[in-house]
Formats: sequence, structure tokens, C-alpha cells
Amino acid sequence: MAGKKTMTLNLTEAEMVALERLSTEKDMSKTAVLRQALRLYQVISVRMQVGERLFFEDDIAKEKKELVVL
Amino acid sequence: MDVALEDRHAGRIVPATLIERIDVAYAKRVDDLWLTFLAAAIAEAEAAGTPVELLEHTHWRWTGKVELTAHLLSYPTLAIECEERPQGLMMLKTDGEIARSQNEQGKPLVYVEFLATAPWNLPAVVARPRFRGAGTILLRAAIETSLDLGFKGRIGLHSLRDAEIFYARSGMTALGRDQKKENLEYFEMTSTQAMAFIR
Repeated sequence: MAGKKTMTLNLTEAEMVALERLSTEKDMSKTAVLRQALRLYQVISVRMQVGERLFFEDDIAKEKKELVVL
Repeated sequence: MDVALEDRHAGRIVPATLIERIDVAYAKRVDDLWLTFLAAAIAEAEAAGTPVELLEHTHWRWTGKVELTAHLLSYPTLAIECEERPQGLMMLKTDGEIARSQNEQGKPLVYVEFLATAPWNLPAVVARPRFRGAGTILLRAAIETSLDLGFKGRIGLHSLRDAEIFYARSGMTALGRDQKKENLEYFEMTSTQAMAFIR
């Protein structure tokens, strides 16, 4: 795999708890979770730049809620 | 990254290079070389009265695929180069895909969007295919990408009919035809299968 660069990341206690929970839930390392988050953020960002919007859809309640992404 | 292919004409193993994240210019070169060769092979076969049955992936245009994805982390396209010619290409999707197999259901995996080998390497196209091993190297690269991302080697793909035997022989498990994907057979490799493959 291509070479990697290292960075130091400062997280709040709540952020670290969330990260640890996701890591356990997804059976991935914390680093893997963050790398995955970066990929998703990029894909969302690119699609929003061309005017698309992101929604959650509830099939049962027949509801759509927009997810606002910074 | 250095890899190796079997040169079937010379009867020996030769060095090759695995290139990660090709760009649009490289994809265009692939299309130019592969499609030109394929057109010539088809014309020659038809002239000889033995028409080539077009393989399912021969209509793929890599330039368009890479144009859409080259800037996205989630869609790396890898190539194998030997004798200064592309011998195989593979596009991966590394986000949002989860395993369907029983023991790994819901866990993230790397999805192989497209995988193809150069037409001069295919027995269906030429009487004497040149290089062997490109598909295996690319599958290994998919597994290693999965490991690198923390997905424990898990990979999945929908196979064209021509390639089902290859994936089955590679140790992947067929999980049934997928109506949402043109009824193609869906294959997965579990973490355990992946470790056995790369050992």
C-alpha cells in the first residue's frame, strides 16, 4: 500500500467515547473508523457540490429527513 | 509495488509492477491499447472463419470510469504493468459496502467494482495468451486494501458469468444471483478465506 503520513489528533472525552463505540460496533480500529469517515465525508461533499442533497429515509414511517452536512 | 506474472510464451516468471490509483491519462491508454488489440483480434478471427465470442467486459471504457472516480478516496483503481503495457485493471469501492455472508453479515468489506485483464492474456480472445496471474494479483491487492482499511481482508464482488469459475477457484464463496445486479452471481471472501488466500 502507498506510504502514509502520521498526524496527532486531539479529541474531547465525548468524541473519544463515540469513536471507541463505533470502533467496537464496526469491529474496526479507531484509525480505520476515522479513515472511513474521511472517505464518506469526501463522497458526500463532492455530491453536494454538484447540487445533490443527503436524506435518511424511513420506509415504515414513510418519512424523509435531510441530513445537513457542513 | 513489485509483483510477478507468468509469461506463458517464455515459460518463466517475469517482474511486473502494481500501480495504485491510476489517473485518467493511464485509463485512456488502457482503452486505446486494449480496444485496438481486441478489434484486431476480432477482425482476424472473423477473417479466419472463427468469430470471437465477445466477453462481457469488453465493452468497458476505463476512461469514463476513472474520470468519475480518480479524485475520490473511496474508489482507487489499480493496474498491473509489464513490458510497459497494462496487463490488468481493477476498481475498488472502499466505503459503504457490507458483508452478506452468514458469519460476517453487516461487517464492512472492500467491493470490487470492476476487474479485467488485457485481451492478449485471455484464452477466449487469443490462441496463445501471453501472461497469467493478473487476476490473482489484483484479488490479492483487493484483500490487502481491505486489511489496510481495517476490514480484515473481507472483499465482495458481482461476477460476470465468464469469471465465475475463476472466483470460485480463488476461494470465494458464491452467495447467489443478485436480481438487483443483472442477476450476476455475488461472491464474497471472508476474513478467514482472505488470510488463506494471501498466505
